[in-house]
Amino acid sequence: MREAVIVEAVRSAGGRSKRGGLAATRSDEIGIQVIKGLLARVPQLDPADVDDLICGCAFPEGEQGMQLGKILAVGAGLPESASGMTINRFCSSGVQSMADATAKINMGWSDVIIAGGCESMSHIPMGGSIMRPNVDWPSDAPWVYISMGMTAENIAANYKISREDMDAMGMESNRRAYEAIKAGKFKGEIIPINAFKYKIAKNGKRIRETYVFDTDDGVRWPVTLADMAKLKSPFKAGGQCTAANSSQTTDGAGFALIMTAEKAKAIGVKPLAKLTNYAVAGCKPEEMGVGPKYAIPKVLKQAGLTTKDIDVFEINEAFAAQALYSIREIGIEDRLKAGDINPNGGAIALGHPLGASGAKLTAQLLAELKRRGGKGKRGIVSMCIGGGMGAAAIFEML
Amino acid sequence: MSYKIKKAAVLGAGVMGATIAAHLTNAGIECVLLDIIPFELTDADKAKGLTEKSPAWRNRFAANGLAGIMKAKPAAFFTKKNASMIKIGNLEDNMDMLKDVDWVCEVVIENLKIKQELFAKLEKAVNPNCIISTNTSGIPIKDVSAKFSANMKAHFLGTHFFNPPRYMKLLEIIPGKETKKEIVDYMTTFCEEVLGKGVVVCKDSPNFIGNRIGIFDISNVIHLMVEKDMKIEEIDAIFGKAMGRPGTAVFGTMDLVGLDTGIHVMKNLHDAVPDDEMKEWFLPTDFLTAMMEKKWLGNKTKQGFYKKTKDEKGKKLKLVIDYKTLEYKPAPKVKFDSVSAANKTEGGVGAKIKVLFNGKDAAAEFVREFLCNNFIYAANRIPEIAERVLEIDNTMKWGYNQKLGPFEVWDAVGVKEAVEVMKKLKKKVPKKIEEMLKAGCESFYTKKKDGQYIYDFATKGYVKIEETPKIILLPSLKDQKKVVKENASASLVDIGDGVACLEFHTKMNAIDDGMVEMIKASCDIVEKDFKGMVVANHDERAFSAGANVFKVLMAIQKGEWDFVENSIADLQNALMRMKYLSKPTVTAPAGMALGGGCEITMHGARCQPCGETYIGLVEVGVGLIPAGGGCKELALRLTEGIPTGAIEAGLNIQQFYTKAFENIATAKVATSAAEAMELGYIRKTENISLGRDQQIWDAKQLVLGMSLYYKPGRQALIPVMGENFRGLINAALYNMRAGNYVSDYDVHVSKKVAYILSGGDCAEGTYVTEQELLDLEREAFLSLAGEQKSQDRIMHMLSTGKPLRN
Repeated sequence: MREAVIVEAVRSAGGRSKRGGLAATRSDEIGIQVIKGLLARVPQLDPADVDDLICGCAFPEGEQGMQLGKILAVGAGLPESASGMTINRFCSSGVQSMADATAKINMGWSDVIIAGGCESMSHIPMGGSIMRPNVDWPSDAPWVYISMGMTAENIAANYKISREDMDAMGMESNRRAYEAIKAGKFKGEIIPINAFKYKIAKNGKRIRETYVFDTDDGVRWPVTLADMAKLKSPFKAGGQCTAANSSQTTDGAGFALIMTAEKAKAIGVKPLAKLTNYAVAGCKPEEMGVGPKYAIPKVLKQAGLTTKDIDVFEINEAFAAQALYSIREIGIEDRLKAGDINPNGGAIALGHPLGASGAKLTAQLLAELKRRGGKGKRGIVSMCIGGGMGAAAIFEML
Repeated sequence: MSYKIKKAAVLGAGVMGATIAAHLTNAGIECVLLDIIPFELTDADKAKGLTEKSPAWRNRFAANGLAGIMKAKPAAFFTKKNASMIKIGNLEDNMDMLKDVDWVCEVVIENLKIKQELFAKLEKAVNPNCIISTNTSGIPIKDVSAKFSANMKAHFLGTHFFNPPRYMKLLEIIPGKETKKEIVDYMTTFCEEVLGKGVVVCKDSPNFIGNRIGIFDISNVIHLMVEKDMKIEEIDAIFGKAMGRPGTAVFGTMDLVGLDTGIHVMKNLHDAVPDDEMKEWFLPTDFLTAMMEKKWLGNKTKQGFYKKTKDEKGKKLKLVIDYKTLEYKPAPKVKFDSVSAANKTEGGVGAKIKVLFNGKDAAAEFVREFLCNNFIYAANRIPEIAERVLEIDNTMKWGYNQKLGPFEVWDAVGVKEAVEVMKKLKKKVPKKIEEMLKAGCESFYTKKKDGQYIYDFATKGYVKIEETPKIILLPSLKDQKKVVKENASASLVDIGDGVACLEFHTKMNAIDDGMVEMIKASCDIVEKDFKGMVVANHDERAFSAGANVFKVLMAIQKGEWDFVENSIADLQNALMRMKYLSKPTVTAPAGMALGGGCEITMHGARCQPCGETYIGLVEVGVGLIPAGGGCKELALRLTEGIPTGAIEAGLNIQQFYTKAFENIATAKVATSAAEAMELGYIRKTENISLGRDQQIWDAKQLVLGMSLYYKPGRQALIPVMGENFRGLINAALYNMRAGNYVSDYDVHVSKKVAYILSGGDCAEGTYVTEQELLDLEREAFLSLAGEQKSQDRIMHMLSTGKPLRN
């Protein structure tokens, strides 16, 4: 079997949906710029060699509809020979695309693929613009239409995850993200976006203004536990999951360049890492957040590894309730405290651009493993998935 | 010179200034709101990077004023969207914003020097025809304008709003000596017709009318209370409904206003009226001064005459102060026989007060002396503060929420009888009253064939009260035998020029068979004999509070299902007939228009709402659904603007219907006519009458205009989403139920609402007739009415007045 290697993995900074730096910028525009930035980092590659572009997207409609994969390929300047597709496994789409690319290359069906994800939650709401649940769906059947917030409340209630622990996780996520940004840790992985916003000029005319967006803007620091404790759950009367311990809705994109080891060698680029294993596991829709609890052991078993073999985890903080529960169930809470899980903050601080999150977390993971040098050999990207699933991918540095 | 106010400015963005600005936007007037620059940068400002040049810092006071009214309770804006009509700035940098305003209303601190300095600056900033006013409550207009140019004096007057300006009807207009008459006339008309206020033109006497008579009223209570050794809670038990006073009575109202404000106005008044025979009473008593020192100022300091706290079990507890010891203790329930007797008395507030006045207990004794003092003081103020009793009565009713003014109360207890009591109490009876009685005039007001007359002290006889053609009073027309048809529930009244008015008059205008009968009969009569019809009434609280649920419950419990179904069908048919009548019908809601009241409102060809209209489909509160065409009409209203073909081309009408569903399933009630337009109960193209006095006249003009060329609308076809809508609502309800926001029975009722709005078992994009939706409404109503839990909800509402969540 051929070996697929990741040559480069980058992302845009995350912009808070509706109010953040990417709120007015179209999803395809963000994706195109990230891909252009990715290609610019590997000048040795002839764009004509890119065979396919796989874009993850959780709600591929509206301005991220039609065929986003091909649209991004054309928009990023790839020759017409390049193909493109859009895939959707909700929150894991961005890493699912990398797993599919890796498998395709391993199989010999492709040599060079750009894979990742792209999502504008400012423009396409969660649930999409036209949601049509089946009127005949039995009310006692697994409730596939449940709101994500409610699934988090279910976990908090069913598995007794305390409000204090959730808020503490939210606070720590923000602190780590704040420190990381201050130390410039994300600079290497972020492609600055020429974003736009609309405003009214002094002469009264409405204009579009362009500016550079290059820093995650959802981080709230300093925060206090006392302030966080005052927030109310928007999901459940007297509930525990709040804006302070849940992920933010975010706009952003992330993409990786994946190719055969031979191709990398031939054009003279040093591979960064490889995606060695990938697993997806199902669970109850009403507790979709427990997904990582099943997906991480499943992928480790597939790889013949244990959590001890993993140096860094990026576990998506859709909600502190589900992330904490999954971490505890796998038995790695000590690693969270030690800074091996979400070392630079998670989605509570940096945001969760649904279909782009897998790619975003991969870019963060590989940069962190690289920073850790010899102590950063292997990492896991994992997340829960709406509808009742979890996904986990193992990356190995080269 | 003709005047027209399109844009105004309010100077001073404190509570009063900002809420005046808010009310101006309610009337559709753009507004500039300016205040001073803060005194210095705080450390917090510096930390934020603000400098003395930052507009955010320089405009802070005005910005805070605007932010304050966004949160004001009760709401200052009809709709928060109005905030965009207010432009903020400061009095140093932004005087140029005043160059195109038509009216400047000054509401800065009550300090003559500050006001004079501001006005000196103002003259250069405004155009020469700009109307300028001060909202002072105590400084004489002549002092404020002393240094003005002749032109500015001619354009200057006092406009004294009462707090809160949106809700308090009273506006005192105080012309200066040099104010042009045309400006006084224009402002009077403007404030009445555009701002919806009740204007009283006052003399430039200290505190004008409201705060002169009002302050005496309070001082009178306090002094008698101390003298007669009564308690705070006793006084408030007396001065409630039986006396025609607001529910907060005397001391509750003081807590609301703030003791500091009260004492400030009292002291000012004391100093301003050296010749006032009662001026010593305006000095605060010892306990008031002590409370002031302790900063027990009322609601704003969380304690005043009353203090709300919780007992050891966490139950709410209301404490009242003992003014002798300044200690708070639980407020006991106080009962007076005379007050209970008065409350039970039928025939209006006057009759109740009369019972109290003639009672035998301590409360009656208090009321007798209190009223005599009030009568004498008010009579002695004529002609000092007003020529006629009418101005004083209107002021107290409109500015202090008293049901009757002092002279109306005097009429109610009997002028002669009160004079006898005064003599017994050794009070000095005003000479002018003795003269009046001697002349054989035994009341201040009297009705004659051609209208209402009032006693005039100057001519010592009755003079006719001028009629205002724009104020249509149905009772007065009924006196003039203008009733076309009537029953116990409603009347059709000829309001002139070929227009009839259908007036409801059941308790809270609850809908019963008689009312539906009259809707149908009125349609028949109007179709034949009139140009069109207005549906309106004068009820203070409710245009119509909805169906008489008691009667519905009785019928259900007796199993009279045919009767229930027929009643609903009858209402539906009556409203459909009204909607498609060959003559125009204009509904004119004011106050509550709930459930069936909302449905009646929506079935006019047009609507002329009062600004203060509280409208909504609230049936789910009693476990039912709107079945008088409410669901149907809301579905129609929210989708009627969709261009033909848009749905076929893929328009997603989900958002239209989720709005309709939210309104009905959460029993959403608009807090103003403007909000009702946002919710879809009233079309956005309608006009709003800000004041209630003129609303029927406004509606009548609309009918007349329409009648010149009228064609009734055609029955509508309504696009629906069919089963897809129900799938959507099922999913939303699942989350609501799981999140414990709703009960199982709420879900059940909500699904019925969704079923109606979905159009039944059909595909998305189907067009249904109005009748199809009406049939679905009826079916759902009957099925819910048969359920125990809905009956429990109705029963609970009837016995407690509150919805039951079962």
